[in-house]
Amino acid sequence: MLRHSTGALGGNAMALETLYQQLVLEHNRHPRNYHRLNRPSHSGRGLDALCGDDILVELVVADRVIENAAFSGEACAITKASASLLTDWLKGQRIDNFHLAHRSFKALMADSSLTNCETLGEINQLRAVAAFPARVRNALLPWKAVDQALKTPMD
Amino acid sequence: MNAMELMKTGVKDLLDVHRLRAEFPVLERTVHGKPLIYLDNAATAQRPLAVIEAMDDFYRRYNANVHRGVHQLSVEASEAFEQSRRDVARLLNAPSDREVIFTRGTTEAINLVANSYLRPTIKPGDEILVSHMEHHANIVPWQLLCEQTGATIKVMPINARGELMLDEVEALINERTRLIGIVHVSNALGTVNPVAEVCALAKRFDVPVLVDGAQATPHEKVDVQALGCDFYAFSAHKMYGPTGIGALWGREALLEAMPPWQGGGEMILKVSFEQTQFNELPHKFEAGTPNIAGSIGLGAAVQWLEEKGIERLAAHEQKLLEYATERMEAFDGLRIVGQAANKGPVVSFTIDGVHPNDLGTIIDHHGVAIRTGHHCAMPVMQFFDVPATARVSFAGYNLRSEIDVFMDSLEAACRMLR
Repeated sequence: MLRHSTGALGGNAMALETLYQQLVLEHNRHPRNYHRLNRPSHSGRGLDALCGDDILVELVVADRVIENAAFSGEACAITKASASLLTDWLKGQRIDNFHLAHRSFKALMADSSLTNCETLGEINQLRAVAAFPARVRNALLPWKAVDQALKTPMD
Repeated sequence: MNAMELMKTGVKDLLDVHRLRAEFPVLERTVHGKPLIYLDNAATAQRPLAVIEAMDDFYRRYNANVHRGVHQLSVEASEAFEQSRRDVARLLNAPSDREVIFTRGTTEAINLVANSYLRPTIKPGDEILVSHMEHHANIVPWQLLCEQTGATIKVMPINARGELMLDEVEALINERTRLIGIVHVSNALGTVNPVAEVCALAKRFDVPVLVDGAQATPHEKVDVQALGCDFYAFSAHKMYGPTGIGALWGREALLEAMPPWQGGGEMILKVSFEQTQFNELPHKFEAGTPNIAGSIGLGAAVQWLEEKGIERLAAHEQKLLEYATERMEAFDGLRIVGQAANKGPVVSFTIDGVHPNDLGTIIDHHGVAIRTGHHCAMPVMQFFDVPATARVSFAGYNLRSEIDVFMDSLEAACRMLR
């Protein structure tokens, strides 16, 4: 359900500005952790063929703690920004924490009236995406890829 | 005859676009405070009042099931339903309306052919030929069939402009070829394929041809007899009609020989628990209560197209295509994907450093609706080595000034994203 005011052009235009200024300037042009890892213990692919997003998330996990995280591939600004923020956040997190945060992030994306979720830290910057229902899938894609990665340890 | 050729013959009176626009209520609305500029017509066109009112009239005045009742409403509904079938037969220049089968759309029509025409006789090692520019609807039904039967799909190649390499087709046909599936006009590239030539070639080898006409019926006068095809599939919603309805035309002899593909009411003459005698064409393929309102809407769309003149609409659309192509070619970093000599009003493109998805979201805030993604033609995206494209597609009600706003919105998006 959309709770932002769809009637007010100003609000929407501002939402668009907010969405793209934060994300694009910071993360789309200079994504963090945008490279392959040498020896990942886990990797997961985030593929959204409909949109043309295809990323690979790689992790180094030891004792149920994510020590390192990086991503690579081609994607839209929102997927890239989400992956950039997420991989930063992941470093040093316990796997359990990721799953808790994943639930919180999904909730945040489902309801644009929600306020910041403390555990998500910088990731809260993506809140503007919730006002763009067609783009929520892009923000969620890197999370899905991490979830997938954690289920499939590499040999 | 395609749209370009028609233009050369000189269309007498020009389309009054502003009057035409008044027939489309949705064009009056705004999106994010801006006038709607609808350039996603290849995904689905908008509907004129004539179509909306025809369906409304059915529900208000004579809603009843068809071919079942003796009462007046059922008689009227059946007559309107069958009138639509005659309208479709006329649209395609089909020899008989018995050859017109209502389906949910192009996809279901192709699935019908896959399951009722090919499945009963296809053998391991048999081949189905499709082009590299097919929509998933003309790939996946054959793939499913192949997986289950051991047949294989072979691909007719395209060149860098996105044109079918007709010279290569003959070498791909052999005694194992069971069917050729080809898109009349590509939704992803705009390419108008030389369908008559493909059919002529296929005929020499006695191979039937199915044409996916989803993008063709709104833009040119289709003549299945002149094309020489065996099956022709299309959807109403691409040609100003409702969603959830379309039709398959097939040669009577082929349809007669095919078993029904779905069982139920309507498609039977006599049922006992031991045996069922099937109804005659076209009802044999129309199990269950059909989409009556949709069929009536489709009939209204055909009549509307005839009244406006498909040639006149096409001439206008070709001018829009030319203008848009010219403007887009001059845009810094823009690459047009699909540059066939003969194109329908579709321009697929990418812009350096700008992901189509972001572009679509930003220009939506200028009121401009376009399609972004793989356009259900992933092999085409792979061929041109792009993950996705953005696409503008025109209809008879689009304006040159809308292309100007679209171009301005592209500038704005690039300023924001680059």
